[in-house]
Amino acid sequence: MRVLLTGLPYTMEKNYTLHKWLNREATPEETAVLKASPEYAPYLKIAEETSGFKIPEFDSKANFNGISENINTKTKVRKLYPISTFLKIAAVLAVLIAGYLYISSKDTTIATQIAEKKTFLLPDASEIVMNSNSNISYSKKNWATNRKLSLKGEAYFKVTKGEKFSVNTPQGIVQVLGTQFNVFSRNSNFYVQCFEGLVSISYNDTIVKLPAGEKLKIENGTLVLHSTTSQKAPVWVSGESSFDNVTLITVLEELERQYPIKVTSQLSNTNRRFTGSFTHNDLDLALKSICDPLKLTYSITKESVTIYDKETQ
Amino acid sequence: MKDLNNICNETVFNKIYNDISKNVWGFIYYKCGDTAQADDLVQEAFIKLWQNCAKVTTEKAKSFLFTVVNNKFLNEVAHKKVVLKHAKLQPDYANNQSPQFLLEEKQYLQKLENAIAKLTEAQRTAFLLNRIEGKKYKEIAEMLDISVKAVEKRMSKALASLRDEFDSI
Repeated sequence: MRVLLTGLPYTMEKNYTLHKWLNREATPEETAVLKASPEYAPYLKIAEETSGFKIPEFDSKANFNGISENINTKTKVRKLYPISTFLKIAAVLAVLIAGYLYISSKDTTIATQIAEKKTFLLPDASEIVMNSNSNISYSKKNWATNRKLSLKGEAYFKVTKGEKFSVNTPQGIVQVLGTQFNVFSRNSNFYVQCFEGLVSISYNDTIVKLPAGEKLKIENGTLVLHSTTSQKAPVWVSGESSFDNVTLITVLEELERQYPIKVTSQLSNTNRRFTGSFTHNDLDLALKSICDPLKLTYSITKESVTIYDKETQ
Repeated sequence: MKDLNNICNETVFNKIYNDISKNVWGFIYYKCGDTAQADDLVQEAFIKLWQNCAKVTTEKAKSFLFTVVNNKFLNEVAHKKVVLKHAKLQPDYANNQSPQFLLEEKQYLQKLENAIAKLTEAQRTAFLLNRIEGKKYKEIAEMLDISVKAVEKRMSKALASLRDEFDSI
């Protein structure tokens, strides 16, 4: 066995002999050769002196007692649950907990489809009624101190008193402390009605305060209406859509949300304004309510509705 | 009787303790120089041996204990980022020599002790096991789960480092 020692002078036989000597396997002759060599003398001295060191006593009894105590407090049943099984269970639990924490930290999203309405409660018992084809998302975590949600579409809010409550929409933010209000946020239309309490609306760089009994309309980022309302709650919650001087397009879009139909209009003038309402429960009746006042007519085939001017019929 | 080979038999377990606990303890002590830590680790290793008594044969008990105690030690180092304390060694002043000699000897030994503290844990453990415990390379290789060649290398490097310490002052 030839070994090249790092750091030591390279003399093959002597290195081999040195290790033999360290192992206490060297013959007297070999030992004599080593001791006679001046290069190796310091190493030998270091090795010999180190042998003279002692380490502290091992307290055999005390340690044995420590072991016995520990063993006696654990029952033999432990052997049925070896470490590997425990680790496997712990690993699965860790993944589940991590997954739960991850998911619970993500936002909760509630969505309504066409012709669907939903009512639900937030963690602080605030109530939200969502109109069709709408989407709300919020974070359940820390809800009590951070009442923020995002709205796409339309919803009626009954907010319990507490920390500031915010509804974020693409067109602006509605903030309340405890109140009831309706928010309509679709395309470039942003309508807010306040029924109780006080609501603060911020859009672009403006802030408007809306007390109970008032409503406002923002279209394309501009305020077009700020007036009173005698309603005590939004009408759509009770199954009817109501409009105050809106374009026909707006009415037909809402119709498409409340009924699973596609509406096409063949009209000379689609910028007509409509004031009135239609029911959510009877398509024929709904269409009559829209068309009659505007002197229009309609035809229904399967899932599509076409609106015509009455004159052309 | 199969019982004599079963570590779950208290008599067998106690015998193993009496035979090797001191070795295992010394092994850890060389690494960390802390009697309390060595006590803890040795106790934990034997407890683990008892818990796995049905799975470990008496022949494998020794390597089991050394593996367990080494792993626990490494775990502690990894988690606590403990700075390895040097092994506190006590020189054995056996002889009655002249005061001058004793003084020089004392100084030499102090220097040596400091130099040993500066060795890497790997070199120190192998070196002290060989020098203080008188273990052969083969035994050390088994305890540390490395090859005999690796033990030789550690011994050489230890000696070279220690020699350097003396030269530099």
